[in-house]
Amino acid sequence: MSAQKPTRGSGRLKDSEKRKIVDDSTRRRRFRRMLELLESDNYQEDPHADLVMSKKLPKFDDEPEQRSTRTKKKERTAEYYQNKYRKSFEQMVEEDRIDAEKNGRPSYLEAEARSTDFVARKFCNVCGFFSKYTCVTCGIRYCSIRCMTIHQETRCLKWTA
Amino acid sequence: MKMNETIEFDMVDIKRQRIDNKNHIYGRRYDKPKMKNKSENPEDEFVDESRTVIIDSGAYTIKTELASKNEPMLIPNCIMKAKAERKRLFIGNQIDECRDCSGLFYLLPCERGYITKWEVQKPIWDQVFNKTLCPVNDKHVLMTQPLFNFKNIQDCTDEIFFEEYEISSLYRCNPTDLVALKYGLERGMRRETCLVVDSGYSFTHIVPYINGKKCSNGIRRLQIGGKMLTNHMKDILSYRQYHVMEETYVINQVKEDTCFVSENFQNDLKIASEGASKNHIVRNYILPDFNTIRRGYISDPDRIKDMHENCQVLRLNNERFAVPEILFTPSDIGINSVGIVDCLIDSIKLCPRTYHDALARNIVVVGGNALLPGFKNRLMKELQSRMPAKWVVDITVPEKSTIYAWQGGKSFLKQHGSVEKFVTKKEYDEFGSSGIQRRFNEWKTFQEEESTKEVEMKQISLIDHVNKLNVFSRQEDLVDQVDSIEQKELSQSYVLDGSVTSNKSLSALEEGSTPGLLNLFDDKNAVLTPPPSEKSSEISICSESMSKMKSSQEENLQVKYFFQNEDSEEENPLNLDFI
Ligand SMILES: [Zn+2]
Ligand SMILES: [Zn+2]
Repeated sequence: MSAQKPTRGSGRLKDSEKRKIVDDSTRRRRFRRMLELLESDNYQEDPHADLVMSKKLPKFDDEPEQRSTRTKKKERTAEYYQNKYRKSFEQMVEEDRIDAEKNGRPSYLEAEARSTDFVARKFCNVCGFFSKYTCVTCGIRYCSIRCMTIHQETRCLKWTA
Repeated sequence: MKMNETIEFDMVDIKRQRIDNKNHIYGRRYDKPKMKNKSENPEDEFVDESRTVIIDSGAYTIKTELASKNEPMLIPNCIMKAKAERKRLFIGNQIDECRDCSGLFYLLPCERGYITKWEVQKPIWDQVFNKTLCPVNDKHVLMTQPLFNFKNIQDCTDEIFFEEYEISSLYRCNPTDLVALKYGLERGMRRETCLVVDSGYSFTHIVPYINGKKCSNGIRRLQIGGKMLTNHMKDILSYRQYHVMEETYVINQVKEDTCFVSENFQNDLKIASEGASKNHIVRNYILPDFNTIRRGYISDPDRIKDMHENCQVLRLNNERFAVPEILFTPSDIGINSVGIVDCLIDSIKLCPRTYHDALARNIVVVGGNALLPGFKNRLMKELQSRMPAKWVVDITVPEKSTIYAWQGGKSFLKQHGSVEKFVTKKEYDEFGSSGIQRRFNEWKTFQEEESTKEVEMKQISLIDHVNKLNVFSRQEDLVDQVDSIEQKELSQSYVLDGSVTSNKSLSALEEGSTPGLLNLFDDKNAVLTPPPSEKSSEISICSESMSKMKSSQEENLQVKYFFQNEDSEEENPLNLDFI
């Protein structure tokens, strides 16, 4: 394992040199990953993961005149709420479904737009115009010799998850 | 006179609440004290605007301000970390203090539009509502929540606002409720009937209102919003030009500055493929360097050479309209969902037939994506071709579409009886979060009251007509190739489905052609729409009137179809014209 420790880049290069054909399940996985990325908040890693909200950190807006005049209030930390109301999205959707059924109201899930029967238009990944061809290696679309060349030389298999 | 009306309203409320709740807690609470109170001080019927805060709480932006002000502050609903600043976080509007917004890392409180990360949401709310920005303590709060907001989220919100922020009363509703109300008032409707389209950061909602009530069973949600558009733009630009995957902040601005909704996608794509002299779509965009250029901008083509020699330039061509296009055709990026137009039509069809016409005539579009140029025209064009010709489609896009709901909050407070809707701190303490929430979440469903039996038969006969039309073959000799099994399948699927909302693709008749979609509105109206493919032609069919249709394709001959049918009698001739 330690004997060959290529950088990520050279590893990818090797793959593309082999021109191996990406199978269907990999293509599907890659596509799912792409859809996930479309919902993601960030692409990069947290640059300062150690930087968190904390009482100990100096606050920048705590000058005396900005402080609330109240003294009686319960101050609770974000962690308190996070722990008390920790529920995953899926959990809440399921609770909503059960409650909707019980009360005879429409649920979150029922409002979802229906799926389409249309056959999707196909676009060239390289230039964005309509495409007629599919790369046999990775399944990505392209429209012309020019775009095929660009794709195969610099992009093919680069995005394989 | 006025007084009597109010008391009457209260009595109805008491009755309703008693039915709702076996323990009569609401009845008890609603009883004498309130009515006595009101008769004595009629001025209490209205909310004190200077002591009320309206919060339109979006997944990406919080719109908040005292109700006595004209416009809200817009505060980013996120915590950000900048590459260059390793010692501090930027909460909400603190981002204005950040000098270098490249590679911003976002902490967002919402997942698909619903708060799941309280460790992110709480500090932002603290910053906005617990300090000097927009303090809510001892105030009345009118707050929006997304449609179908989950109970867990409402519980936590109640606890934070009542217990920690110590507000004196609270009312929560959906932003679309406020939009519908404001729209109705502007149109002089006493009880508004309209279709609200709210296209925001996380999703796009279509919500029908009938006589002032939300038609809950007609709500449609398209899981596409501004966030997905920006992420998609990052994707394609990174593939085609620079690696900008980490530049959400910048690319979001690029999107706002350059994107538009195409009124004719295929045509615009053709223009974008032309050389420089004919291509009026292509733009060069100067990216910010956060040194001399704080915000990117579209370059003046004549000046580009002598101005910024070292700046990075993005070339934007078909990306400008292919990105917003996914709202209309999600399948373009492989999302197996109908687009916004189908969602609108579905939503209308889920409402009682009597109101279809009125809903089509009163469409109001709000939210950040409504600001994309061309949005209204495209929606109009597609709806007109997809809806029965006798229906008048009218779409309103308010100029300030992102703060329209907040402004609707102002209208809400001026409504007679709105003060009664607020839940006081005392009531919260007494009944708890679960006890008060039924006052925030009203589920009204309008069911189709007419029988659809007779309609079904006519639907099938209409489909037979369509099949005879053989609309997707481009040569007459292809008629023979129509597979009878496919026809049968098609008819059967309608019988099985039975409702007026049924949609089914027509079978493709030749290789390369793609199925169209038949939309049945009622026994007299059906509209056939072909797929948004470069090869298809666009066809509308109305049995009551002539259809309008157009075709635009690069390699195929122009095809024009006519379907003349004065009323829905089966024997009427169908004419097919080729040009
Ligand atoms: Zn291409
Ligand atoms: Zn490839």
